[in-house]
Amino acid sequence: MNYMPGTASLIEDIDKKHLVLLRDGRTLIGILRSIDQFANLVLHQTVERIHVGKKFGDIPRGIFVVRGENVVLLGEVDLDKECDQILQRVSIEEILEEQRTEQQAKQESERLKLQAVKERGLSIPKADTLDDF
Amino acid sequence: MFRFQSFDEDCTLEEEGLVEEDEIDQFNDDTFGAGAIDDDWQEAHARLAELDELVRDGPAEDTPSAPHELPPVTSSTLSPPPPLYSEERAGGDLAESLSRLILGSDPAIAGVGTASLDRSRLPPVLSSHTHPPALAGQSPLLLSYPQNQQLLHRGSAPLSQINSHSIWENSMVFSPVGVNSGLVNQTEDSPLLSIIKEVGLPKRPPALGREEGRDLSERVPPPRSSSPVIGSPPVTAVPIGTPPKQPMSHILIQQNNHPSAVHVRASVPLRYPPPFPERLSPNNLLSITNPPLSHHSFPGVGPILSQIQRAQLLNAQFQRCPGPPPPLLQGGVGGFRPFFGQSGPRMGLHGPHLGHVPIRHNTTHLHPQHRRMLNLRMQNRGTGDHLSGRGVLERKNRDPYSNLMMQREKEWVARIQMMQLQSTDPYLDDYYYQNYYEKMEKRQERDRDNKKEHSTKLITPQVAKLEHTYRPVQFAGSLGKLTVSSVNNPRKMIDAVVTTRSDDEEKREKQVWNKRRQILYTVEKMYTLLLEVQDFEKKFLQTPEHQRDALLEQHKSHTLQLYSSLKEKEWADRVSDEQCLMIMSVRKGKRLISRLLPFLPQQQAAAVIMAIARNLPALAKKDKQDQVLCWLVEPVTVVIQSMSSTSLTDLLQELQGSEGQLPLVLQNKFGVTVLYVVLSEGERMQSSDPNCQLMDDNRWTELVFSVTRELLKVPSSALSSPLFTPPNLVSLFSRYVDRQRLELLQEKLQITALSR
Repeated sequence: MNYMPGTASLIEDIDKKHLVLLRDGRTLIGILRSIDQFANLVLHQTVERIHVGKKFGDIPRGIFVVRGENVVLLGEVDLDKECDQILQRVSIEEILEEQRTEQQAKQESERLKLQAVKERGLSIPKADTLDDF
Repeated sequence: MFRFQSFDEDCTLEEEGLVEEDEIDQFNDDTFGAGAIDDDWQEAHARLAELDELVRDGPAEDTPSAPHELPPVTSSTLSPPPPLYSEERAGGDLAESLSRLILGSDPAIAGVGTASLDRSRLPPVLSSHTHPPALAGQSPLLLSYPQNQQLLHRGSAPLSQINSHSIWENSMVFSPVGVNSGLVNQTEDSPLLSIIKEVGLPKRPPALGREEGRDLSERVPPPRSSSPVIGSPPVTAVPIGTPPKQPMSHILIQQNNHPSAVHVRASVPLRYPPPFPERLSPNNLLSITNPPLSHHSFPGVGPILSQIQRAQLLNAQFQRCPGPPPPLLQGGVGGFRPFFGQSGPRMGLHGPHLGHVPIRHNTTHLHPQHRRMLNLRMQNRGTGDHLSGRGVLERKNRDPYSNLMMQREKEWVARIQMMQLQSTDPYLDDYYYQNYYEKMEKRQERDRDNKKEHSTKLITPQVAKLEHTYRPVQFAGSLGKLTVSSVNNPRKMIDAVVTTRSDDEEKREKQVWNKRRQILYTVEKMYTLLLEVQDFEKKFLQTPEHQRDALLEQHKSHTLQLYSSLKEKEWADRVSDEQCLMIMSVRKGKRLISRLLPFLPQQQAAAVIMAIARNLPALAKKDKQDQVLCWLVEPVTVVIQSMSSTSLTDLLQELQGSEGQLPLVLQNKFGVTVLYVVLSEGERMQSSDPNCQLMDDNRWTELVFSVTRELLKVPSSALSSPLFTPPNLVSLFSRYVDRQRLELLQEKLQITALSR
């Protein structure tokens, strides 16, 4: 049964593995089980995948219910193509460690930048009002 | 070594019993609880007691050596035992071994040494007995559990029980002793064991051989203490870790023979059993399972492997063909798939039962609703299996969680989405989509060259635009309307009807009114002046001599003023038509003029009269009542009589001025009168003064001629009667017209005078 051809309806995507990108930057991979008119999603056997560079790590999370407004995008995972991945899979600890390192490096660079800017007498307003990253 | 040699089947149990005597009670009480189970434990205990007696008869020297043997056993492969075993098991009887298994199901009996013994014993047992090859296949893997357990326990003891590894070893009921180095390093066995406990291994696996029976009896988990679902049907399915096919069938039989609630225990956290695929090698299995999950430091992973999941997976396994796992499972959800292979063995057992009522063994602890749903899905899958082909569909069928969203729900969401697409004007609401869609369609047509098939098209509902005006409910004959308010019809307290006159109308009306007021105002002003002028004489007489000049001056100025108000801005001797008309349009104004005229100097008065004559048709139109204009007759007459010939001619000309003016003039009483007056005056002039300049040019004649002509033309009805008819008109006309016409004219003149 062809539900609403030509539209971006999620009905056809049910019971298929999907990759969901959330507004807070998280990447979830799970089987889409249920939807509603707001594109709230129910993901089954969800795994949160953390990417750092060429490596990634999976954290199994179970069942996720995602509020539709927090979804940036989602797409079906091609199971055949998923097998041949260029990225290297690592353990969770490792990937978390990598992520931490990355965050630290970023913060460090930000700090230096801010310092440099201050020295020059300029100021960059802090993006406190921004909701998302 | 020697220990093994001297052992016979009885001895193994004996050894276990001897070693673990202290822990018998411990295991009984703590591990398994009071138990809402049948008196199996009592039976078991009785049996054990029997066995103890038997065992004690056996060589006792074996016992001390047993624990020592373990370390070497675990660290290395069980190479030494096999040859020993062969001696042992050569004469083993299957039934005997099974019975042993039953007896030895009490983990209390289990011992460290025996585990190794079992392990060492199993391979020859296998070879000797007619066990299914599946069991053999399973054995190497299953064997690893005890090994792993030992390793685990050596490392850290998450299990509170001492020598708990023995339990696990006991639980390895169905794992024949085998050599498996691959899984030695695996530390994920405890979850498996916990799961086994949960699922409920059969208490008495009878089918295995005696030797195996012993081993397996050690590995049988204790019965479930309490069922989470009271009154749940007895577990009939084979628990996890049961050897495949034949042994399983034996076990099943045993289970059926001894229907008992399977002991369910809370899962030990952070344990993940390595999967038990039917055909996969342990190495493959390792690759499937998620390595990080093996780390205990990850608490979050623990609860994921819930009972339900395991049950689901088990059920799923049932219908899955023994083969490579579907990619779905492999796809990064490793932690969830440890059971992938474990239920593999089950496949064989329940192969013929595909599509039938699913195994309930592992679902007894599920919520009954959940179980029902599970069964439903299983059945659907079962039916689907028969019909489906390879590939995705097969994968779908294997997915126990598929169709969580029922068709009805899908349609519901689709309907909501369609409702949102409703529009009265699609080009207005979704312009870009419409264009895009058209382009696509054209492209499709072009590409396909009008092939018959058309891709499915979404037809959005087109709703006609309806104007919904609310009409409040009204009852005939009642006063007012019902005051019932809702979102659509807020209360109307007052029927305020707004009647807006169109702007133009208003403007015009206003203009007219304003103008009239203006005129009246002017007239008023003029009147004051006029009154002053009129009262001049009186004043003059009254004022003293010296002030008379001043008064005179004043008088003059007044009159001038009066005239100036009438006259045109630029021309001094021409009265402004507008002004005149304006004033004359008002009755008061006409009166004013009539009173004014005597006071004006001749020239000015003449000018006024000229103006009047000029605008006579307009004036006549405005003045429907002839009487008002007729007030002017007298003063006009006076003025005319004092006019010069030229001015008279001019006047006559003015009267006849525009096309069609004369008839109109003739229609109007005043006009007629004035005309006659003019004519008579002219006649008088002509007759009285032979030197009058009236005849100097032909103008007068012409004019008279035209008058006569007009008079003759005009019907009597159209001719209004003058106020008076000058007598000398006939003589005038007689000069210009012949007799015939004269007579006619006379008639006209007379008729008009008499008749009206």
